[in-house]
Amino acid sequence: MSVENPARYTGGEFGTVIKEEVLRQIETDGYTDTVRFAFCFPDIYEIGMSNLALHILYHVLNEQENVWCERSFSPWKDMDQLMRDKSVPLFSLETFTPLCDFDIVGFTLQYELCFTNVLQMLDLGRIPLRASDRKEEDPIIVAGGPVVYNVEPMAPFFDLIMIGEGEEMIVEFTNLVHERKASLARGDKFSREELLQRASRIAGIYVPSFYDVAYSDTGVITSILPNRPGVSQTITKRIIKDMDSVSFPHQTIVPNVKAVHDRAYLELFRGCIRGCRFCQAGYIYRPVREKTPETLCAQAVALEKNTGYDEMGMLSLSTSDYRQLDELTDQLLSAFDGHHTSLSLPSLRVDSFSLELMEKVSSIRKSGLTFAPEAGTQRLRDVINKGISEEDILTSLELAFSGGWNTVKLYFMLGLPTETDEDVTGIADLVRKIETLYFDVGRRNNVKMRKPEITVSTSMFIPKPFTPFQWERQASAEELSAKQMLLRERLRSRNIKYIWHDLETSVWEGVIARGDRRLADVLEAGYRRGFIFDSWDDCFQLAGWLEVLHEKGLEETFYLARQREESEILPWEHISICVDKSFLLREKHLAYQGSTTPTCREECTGCGAATFGGGVCYEHA
Amino acid sequence: MSMLDREKEMTTQLHQTTYLSRIRFARTGSIAYVGHLDMMRAFERAIRRTDLPLLHSQGYNPRPMLVFALPIGVGIHTTDDYVDIAMSRPVEPREVIDALASKLPPDLSVLSVQSLPESVGSIMAAVTTASYVLEAPGIVEASERLFGHNEVVVDKQSKGKTRSLDIRPLIHRVRPCDASDPDRVEIVVSAGSKENLRPDLFLAALVMCEAYPVLASKNAKITRTGLFSGTYPDIKRFSEE
Repeated sequence: MSVENPARYTGGEFGTVIKEEVLRQIETDGYTDTVRFAFCFPDIYEIGMSNLALHILYHVLNEQENVWCERSFSPWKDMDQLMRDKSVPLFSLETFTPLCDFDIVGFTLQYELCFTNVLQMLDLGRIPLRASDRKEEDPIIVAGGPVVYNVEPMAPFFDLIMIGEGEEMIVEFTNLVHERKASLARGDKFSREELLQRASRIAGIYVPSFYDVAYSDTGVITSILPNRPGVSQTITKRIIKDMDSVSFPHQTIVPNVKAVHDRAYLELFRGCIRGCRFCQAGYIYRPVREKTPETLCAQAVALEKNTGYDEMGMLSLSTSDYRQLDELTDQLLSAFDGHHTSLSLPSLRVDSFSLELMEKVSSIRKSGLTFAPEAGTQRLRDVINKGISEEDILTSLELAFSGGWNTVKLYFMLGLPTETDEDVTGIADLVRKIETLYFDVGRRNNVKMRKPEITVSTSMFIPKPFTPFQWERQASAEELSAKQMLLRERLRSRNIKYIWHDLETSVWEGVIARGDRRLADVLEAGYRRGFIFDSWDDCFQLAGWLEVLHEKGLEETFYLARQREESEILPWEHISICVDKSFLLREKHLAYQGSTTPTCREECTGCGAATFGGGVCYEHA
Repeated sequence: MSMLDREKEMTTQLHQTTYLSRIRFARTGSIAYVGHLDMMRAFERAIRRTDLPLLHSQGYNPRPMLVFALPIGVGIHTTDDYVDIAMSRPVEPREVIDALASKLPPDLSVLSVQSLPESVGSIMAAVTTASYVLEAPGIVEASERLFGHNEVVVDKQSKGKTRSLDIRPLIHRVRPCDASDPDRVEIVVSAGSKENLRPDLFLAALVMCEAYPVLASKNAKITRTGLFSGTYPDIKRFSEE
């Protein structure tokens, strides 16, 4: 075997769906009327298999009688080379079918730096990269996921995009493809163009080629207009209104090799009540919609039994905001009694930290605590609307330290709007207070404390679409590097470990995140030069990317260093998340004043998401 | 935790009433490409999907009580392997087979199950010998030539160091699977916690000592076809115990 981890490419996991009747039909007739869907994750197997969206949509699609969904992942560089050398097309893990033989090839886009891996998968899968080069019989290439809210840099490569939550929309779309397949089998005409036109009438579906984008001399967009009659000016994201009735897998695929997240997952709710101003997820997933503890408990019991996992992760953007978290954890713990199954929480807010909850969650295996204050001073925390005070942080940690925890991870961001050196050193001051607190707790309780392990991690703030900071300039690599150095000096202690995020990937992510369609040529040229796996620090080459960008006549400063006018037409202007632009602008101005905005549960501030007619907006009604 | 620690843990707990079942299994196809730890985990999870009363070790980090006869490398298929599982009540072999029938990954299959007396020793300690079938072009001739030497010294890498080792005493028998097939050979070699010859080292010896082509050795299909106790030639297959 000349490739690393060959089991990435062999399939054969427990829980894989094989539709035998379809296989038989293909064998005897060389054709099936079932829609064949290749669900593609543009990163390696171990990462893709940790993604809950993959498991949900695999289940939803395979529940349909007229669809068979299989999976494919990005081959790592060694396998990529081998496949090119031996002319082996990229295939699905279920049946080793080349991607070009599917009816639909769908990508989930979870982060911007996976974009060239989409091109790698299309190319290896023998599919023309550009939608405009595809023929009638080529697969329809679709995408979804959090990054598609601004998918413009990839727009020419996709036939259509599904914006928002996919469970319903994807089935409406596969039904349409099924109808086309049946028509063509009967010898009727049903062109690709007709399919796209009809698909564009499904709520949430965006066909990029149906829109023309015009630019001014300076590169700013002057218009985004539909180029066909009957195509809507804006595309509004889809949501699932009732989280209790939406399909959720009671059985997922269990990888044979260890995935990054090697556990079963429950999804407690979608959306977030908080409205932290830097956080895209806090806006695009609005409004908050919860599942009931009864639903979750039934799903957990089934999942644990059917998968055999010994750990159940409780997922959502801010799990401690789940209103019945105590009831839920109690119910789960009693359901798992004697099973040696533990519960895990991805993150906790410091203001809702409860020792009792942590004890429950780690009653079997103790893990470290993770907090995300995000900024070092109260002023800046107010600017970003992270409604946490220093007192909240210290009170929570005092509880934790008294309870025997000595491992704490703290997450901060550098480069936030209005940030000064004082805010940066404020991070160090806060961390030092935490260090002192740890030993104070020991002294007060008269116990000899072990050495604490305080990990401080900083990432770079990248302004994202659909946030109040979408108009902001991004701090330059030089500025950020200076901030890192400043912090490093102040954090020298044997109890503190400082980890910082790679600056170079932040620059490129910043370009792509608020990029426009002109970047498609850059991405394709970069891919042709062999730039793949950009999200892997050791694969990423900023200098190479900037060279390609400049060759195409574009400048990174246009995307990064520019404070955008509030009146500017942004590349994602034609996409609506139902959070009004006027609301985002109001939030932007409040940020500059250092004024905070209450959570959705404290008070409705009229963002616009109530138009969906469900969730937190109607909890009090 | 190492295999031996695990085994110790199982023996220390034997004072509880523990009911052991020995599962004879095969792995072919895709699951052959995972490492031993991954395969152990796949088995643990499969058993957790059933209602079998699997025991867990005590202590801070309870683990399901499974003991595998002999670790198996990535890419190696097996048609005769064993795992002992400890349960809190007696379970009929038929019941174990039925329970696991639909719970294992597709390429992992239970061949038979045997209930063991509580007094039985650890299978890991009892394994002395293994047989493998190697499939590659011209491998019969090269293997027979190698077997003809009195000494086969190879460089063995372990823990970052390279040392020379005579593996000839660990090779007990070499013979073609079929007299008319030059590409399939069966080897019987030492295996287990005392002396162990991994089939990939045998293949490396073919390259080093017999100028066997590297590529053919890398692409050889390896299948473990038997695990035995006893001293060669007086060896006994576990399934015949």
